[in-house]
Amino acid sequence: MIAREAPQHVIDRLRSDGHAMAEVLVKEGRTRRCELSPQGPISVLTAESGWAVRAGGPRGSFFVAGTGAPPLGADWPQSGAVGLQLPEPQPAPEWRPGPGIEAPLMVEGEASGLVAALGRELARQVQGARVLRVILDDGSSETYVANSRGIGVGYRSRLAMLHVEAVVGAQSATRTTLQLAAREARAFHPLAVAQQLANVLVVRGAEPGPGRERGEMIVGPRVGARLLAAWSPLWLGRAASARARALADRHDRIGSSRLTVVDDGRLPGGALEAPVDGEGVATRRVVIVENGRYRQPLVDWREADPPRLRASGCLRRPSWRDGPRPGPSHLHILPDETVSATELVASVARGFYLLDVVGPVRSDLESGRFAVQVCGFGLAHGQASRPIGSAWLCGGVGSFLRGIRGVARDLAFIPHGGMIGAPTLLVRGLELRREP
Amino acid sequence: MPLAHLEIGGIARCLAQVAERPRDHVDAFFEVVAERRVTGVAGALGAELRIERGLAVRLLRDGHTWLASSDEISPQLLARTIARVARARPGAVVPPPRSLAAAAIEAAAGAELEAFTAAVEEAVQRRHAAFPILWDVRCHERWTRVVGAMLSPGQQRERFFSCAARMPWGSWGAVLQRLDAAAAESVAESLTTAFRAQRAPAPAAGPTCLVLAPAATAVLLHEAVAHALETDTLGLSGDPETTVGVRLASDVVDVVDNPAGAGETVRREVDDEGMPVIRRWLLRAGRVDQPLADLFVASRSSRLAPGAARRGNRHLAPVPRSTHLELLPGAVGREELIVSCGDGLLVTEFSNGTLDPLSGDLRLEFPYARRLEAGQPAGLVGPGTVRGSVGSTLAAVRAVAADARPAGAGWCAKGGHRLPVWATACSVLLESVEVAS
Repeated sequence: MIAREAPQHVIDRLRSDGHAMAEVLVKEGRTRRCELSPQGPISVLTAESGWAVRAGGPRGSFFVAGTGAPPLGADWPQSGAVGLQLPEPQPAPEWRPGPGIEAPLMVEGEASGLVAALGRELARQVQGARVLRVILDDGSSETYVANSRGIGVGYRSRLAMLHVEAVVGAQSATRTTLQLAAREARAFHPLAVAQQLANVLVVRGAEPGPGRERGEMIVGPRVGARLLAAWSPLWLGRAASARARALADRHDRIGSSRLTVVDDGRLPGGALEAPVDGEGVATRRVVIVENGRYRQPLVDWREADPPRLRASGCLRRPSWRDGPRPGPSHLHILPDETVSATELVASVARGFYLLDVVGPVRSDLESGRFAVQVCGFGLAHGQASRPIGSAWLCGGVGSFLRGIRGVARDLAFIPHGGMIGAPTLLVRGLELRREP
Repeated sequence: MPLAHLEIGGIARCLAQVAERPRDHVDAFFEVVAERRVTGVAGALGAELRIERGLAVRLLRDGHTWLASSDEISPQLLARTIARVARARPGAVVPPPRSLAAAAIEAAAGAELEAFTAAVEEAVQRRHAAFPILWDVRCHERWTRVVGAMLSPGQQRERFFSCAARMPWGSWGAVLQRLDAAAAESVAESLTTAFRAQRAPAPAAGPTCLVLAPAATAVLLHEAVAHALETDTLGLSGDPETTVGVRLASDVVDVVDNPAGAGETVRREVDDEGMPVIRRWLLRAGRVDQPLADLFVASRSSRLAPGAARRGNRHLAPVPRSTHLELLPGAVGREELIVSCGDGLLVTEFSNGTLDPLSGDLRLEFPYARRLEAGQPAGLVGPGTVRGSVGSTLAAVRAVAADARPAGAGWCAKGGHRLPVWATACSVLLESVEVAS
């Protein structure tokens, strides 16, 4: 449990030294890592403890961070030329930590067993497939942030990450990488993870896709999430509204009526669920796009203009070493709980199922165009017709968003500068090409 | 020197509790880091300071690594960290040394960093260019010390700078040993040329003769030679020892990793496992001589030598990496290379490089280049990419110039370890490599 008196003493000392504003963040945590690599198995247990102080006023400020406990009688450095503003406490809904926050870290045997099981399952599902590298991190932390304006809030977090690289084929010709995040490592089931890897390895070894072909696209959650992440300038910051409206049609719609985009820092069970952001401002659910119409972007309290544009509590600080930066927590396309992914696939007479991305998304929001290399299957009458090792999904950003005709219930998140999620989507108006 | 006065004997006795078996290796890694940073627009820069202290204890046994790490340095933390690594409760507990404090350090002042941004912007103006720049300039200082059950080399210190600039049309970065006038001119030249190249035509795609300036050669060596010869990379596809003697490059290519030969503020005597560094011949006349190995691999080999272990921070286990690459110079001048190239490209710098460790595919991106026409520099071309396999690209090296100089330092982030890498390189001529726009 972090002692809360020391941060307050530091704030009092900074105020008495003439700093109009002062903030102290303290974070402690433990992480267990289990890694399988060419260097053999590696088991790591890390105990981290650090702090960060921001202090100053409108004309200048400094940021100092260090390990251990925040010093009470430090010689603070000279301020730089960038001023500092800090938020005031605001009333916020009560938050109760969800299940699993207090769950103990995996012990070493448990973690290495999960990693080993993953390798066995993959080898069983795809002949000749092997895991090249696995990194499993299971961590818990406690954060306390206080400032001179009266904010003082602490909370616990729990986060697990899994990184897997797998290959198959002669000279490991076909490979894929998978990254997952969850509240705790026990949520990673070797069978399910191996299945995801196997699905991609099988198709990645196939021939490239069509020269140029249109059709209905079933966009898998990992593809949808990567596109959503690539288009973050449409969701984040005050200028996002103007960018998004530039892509709208003549009915002022940025997306189809099936599209609702939400960010929720308090998403129950979310990997990054927390009551406040990196400055102690309450997190909340923000509807960015509702039934195709743009509502508001994610903005921090400095950019807010209530009541029209309310602050989102969206300043993230992944580590005590980092200053606060705007970013999503759980940004996702709202699923439709009445529709299964299977139903969407079955509805496609002729089209493609896009399983995963193969490279980075190329996106130009000024021209409104995007392209991303993907892999998947051809679809005919709701059935997989042929595997596609790689092809370029191309089109307009607005065309994609307005072309969403179906949304399934299988929402899945990927770690990508926050947690970004999408369910399976049925999209019309796009094209697959062999070259971008 | 914050780690100069650790009670080595006491630490070694504590570590000996963990090494129960004859072939066990155990060590303690102490680390102090200071980073001063200025960010924003020149004249209105924000000020940041980060100081970290910590330790890690590692046990290597039968091919398995156990590592425990902590923030801060104290006898109690050392004892707890040792207990987390130990595979069994020791029969008799050796108390930690009474005193285990890292001395206070004085971090670099920000004035030098601020002055550098102003110097670069003045140098840009002298080149009749002007564009907004968002700066991120840092002074990095790191002290490390490894204590083993049986060895304890001295403290190592590194001090260097990083400079990142973000412009409306792109971003640029470099790692520098000092922020002097020459560095400011060099940064300004890179930024201004990249700015002018925004309007330049794309390079012609296809097989091209290239002359690489030393900074560009350094990136090629880092990706195509150093990464290709790290024993963890080699271990992905077989026994690293079997690469010794294999031809990887043309016979004019001699590459050495020499951490002790790096610049004064970044040279090393020992690696991050406490093993003495060596002047390691990676390629001798184009053939693999001695891959980059750490204790994990070298202890299983009669041919591979340790001394190339590095760790991005105390929370990560060491991995084999290069520190300071040297390309042995040739006998010809750079102008001779340019003339003999005829029609091609002169590439001053690469902004990014990647090596696929399984396929050997190499990709090097340049922000701009200069056309060579009949052996004479001509107009600028815009961003492009050099693609090929490691073998075909290094085999294309036809000549090495005599203009060896420190150049092309940068960040390497392979495997999550963010490390500065240094080089002393020369201009080289590559015959017929694939360029794409």
